[in-house]
Amino acid sequence: MISRTNLNHATVEERPVTTLDKKPAHGEGRKDPWSQLLVKVGKSQDRQAYHSLFEHFAPQLKYYAMANGMASHAEELVQEVFVSIWRRASLYDWHKAAASTWIFTIARNQRIDMLRKMRRTSAEMQVETEDLWQIPGEDENEPITSLHRLMSERRVRDSLKNLPEEQITVIAKVYMEQKSHQMVADELNIPLGTVKSRVRLALNKLKVILQDQNV
Amino acid sequence: MTRHHPDSIQLMEYSAGNLSEPHALCIRLHLNECALCRSRVDTLDSLGAVMMEQQPKVSVSESMFDSILAKIDSDPAPQPVIETAPRISILQKLLGDDINNLPWKRQLGDVSVLDITEKFPGQKEQVVLQKLVSGGKAPAHTHRGTETTIVLQGAFADQKGVFNQWDFVVLTDQDEHKPVAVGCEDCITLSVLSAPVKLTGTFTRMLNPFIR
Repeated sequence: MISRTNLNHATVEERPVTTLDKKPAHGEGRKDPWSQLLVKVGKSQDRQAYHSLFEHFAPQLKYYAMANGMASHAEELVQEVFVSIWRRASLYDWHKAAASTWIFTIARNQRIDMLRKMRRTSAEMQVETEDLWQIPGEDENEPITSLHRLMSERRVRDSLKNLPEEQITVIAKVYMEQKSHQMVADELNIPLGTVKSRVRLALNKLKVILQDQNV
Repeated sequence: MTRHHPDSIQLMEYSAGNLSEPHALCIRLHLNECALCRSRVDTLDSLGAVMMEQQPKVSVSESMFDSILAKIDSDPAPQPVIETAPRISILQKLLGDDINNLPWKRQLGDVSVLDITEKFPGQKEQVVLQKLVSGGKAPAHTHRGTETTIVLQGAFADQKGVFNQWDFVVLTDQDEHKPVAVGCEDCITLSVLSAPVKLTGTFTRMLNPFIR
């Protein structure tokens, strides 16, 4: 096993520079640096690349777990997510999702899975978490949407910059604190309709809302 | 091609992982057949990733990366391979082979039902399959709560339109309709009920999404 100290040394050259943290999607090719690293992990079990991903994503994932009320299991979640990243990396296809999106879906599924397993025995679970929540790019045929998928994270990041704070607050509570729209409304002491309209305004900018339907 | 889709807020709750298992099942069955909604969920998953990136960071313990490496190294199959063979569909897993040959319970006239709530232990909602025979009509009924329905086979029509296979529809106590199974197949739906159905008229036996 490569020691941690050596890894740190070896990765200095290869690691994406910190400024990319702020705007990883700009100024480089189609693949963002984190996706490039993840591809390396998948293709050649590159431990330096894996460590760089860990340094970048583990603190995000730990906050995600804590915000979701899993404080006492936060590190366990981070660890499970990273083991899962290693084991699945060969299935990762950068055409189908940016690394951060792929890792987010793994973290989400891991959180759901841990909560399910705390509540019941595995014999009781007839449907697996991944039957219900999919990791992008796995077990599917998606012939022509890869451009859309590639663009999607970039577009989301750009659109978010222009959203009012009140819209971002609501979305953050839904994603990070696992709150339903009703719970967000109760917490912020505003009507459910207001919460939904804030979300709809935001999703409209992100083009998630169907234009041809009054949904 | 499906014409009735989940709304963006439901898809967002799905992407965030906040839906109950039965509700997630309805969304997932729709996504499997609807490229449009899959691309909407892709965008929402990206939104989740960007939200996570913009939140505070919490440092992890010094030894964690070494523990992870140790765990990976102790794995008997270090080469990460996950089976890529086509999986059995979720419905097959849940119900077995043919949804037409399930132990349906005949209810009101043209309607049969099968309660599968027990397949989702620990969930609050009731999960019910319903079958309306081809050309059959369902009696009138209302709901107290919200009912999320996905069409698994055939089609039904009401005053709101025609609902085909994999169409997704949410009904509340505000809605009223008289569904009819259209086409030559029996219409089979999967419904998740947040509260028991309020039966109108003299029927007091069973909840049923065709009956509203």
